[in-house]
Amino acid sequence: MGEEKEKKKGSTIKVSLGSGKEDVEELREVLNVVSKEVPTMIRNILSSVFSEEAGRDMGKAAAAFYKQLKEAGMPEEAAVKMTENYVSVFTSLSDIMKRSAGGKGKSDEIGEEISRKIKEKLAEKHVGEKEEEEE
Amino acid sequence: MKIQTAVMSFIYLTRLLLSLFVLYVMLSWKVRSARKAFEKQLVRQGMSKKDARRISAQFSKLKDGMMDTAKGSLFRNR
Repeated sequence: MGEEKEKKKGSTIKVSLGSGKEDVEELREVLNVVSKEVPTMIRNILSSVFSEEAGRDMGKAAAAFYKQLKEAGMPEEAAVKMTENYVSVFTSLSDIMKRSAGGKGKSDEIGEEISRKIKEKLAEKHVGEKEEEEE
Repeated sequence: MKIQTAVMSFIYLTRLLLSLFVLYVMLSWKVRSARKAFEKQLVRQGMSKKDARRISAQFSKLKDGMMDTAKGSLFRNR
């Protein structure tokens, strides 16, 4: 029933396209901006993470950490292992990005689950009503 | 009109793909230089080159992770 309504609703949607010339101009403008701005934006974001200066700064921090451990009398192997863990904290950025990117998929799954449960409940209710009518 | 639109779309799409390819090459180069600078700092403090190289591999892991995320979001949105 709900689906039928949705179909009817969908059939009444009208898309205003405007004149052909305007569309072409608009598309041209959009493509022009996308092809120029998107690579620049990505380049700027990546430069802040991957650059010689960023590597040097991170290296200085890790080296200072390693030096402190060595001076405190930590064995070489343990100091290297701890420095590796220390650096991996900086680079866990990709994991955060993955999690944030995967968040949308999870919310979709939850939405599907909710709609499935609602449909089940409605079906149960309809069956109950029919049985009552028959009685 | 349609041909003109198709041609323009093709040109802009090609430009975008070329820019992304250049970006990928540039990213690889930047990761390499960042790793070198990072290793240099660690070696300066007395760490062996082998260990420094192993630790600096985190940069490559980060790059791969970012690329995977980008690819994943691209294919999921299709």
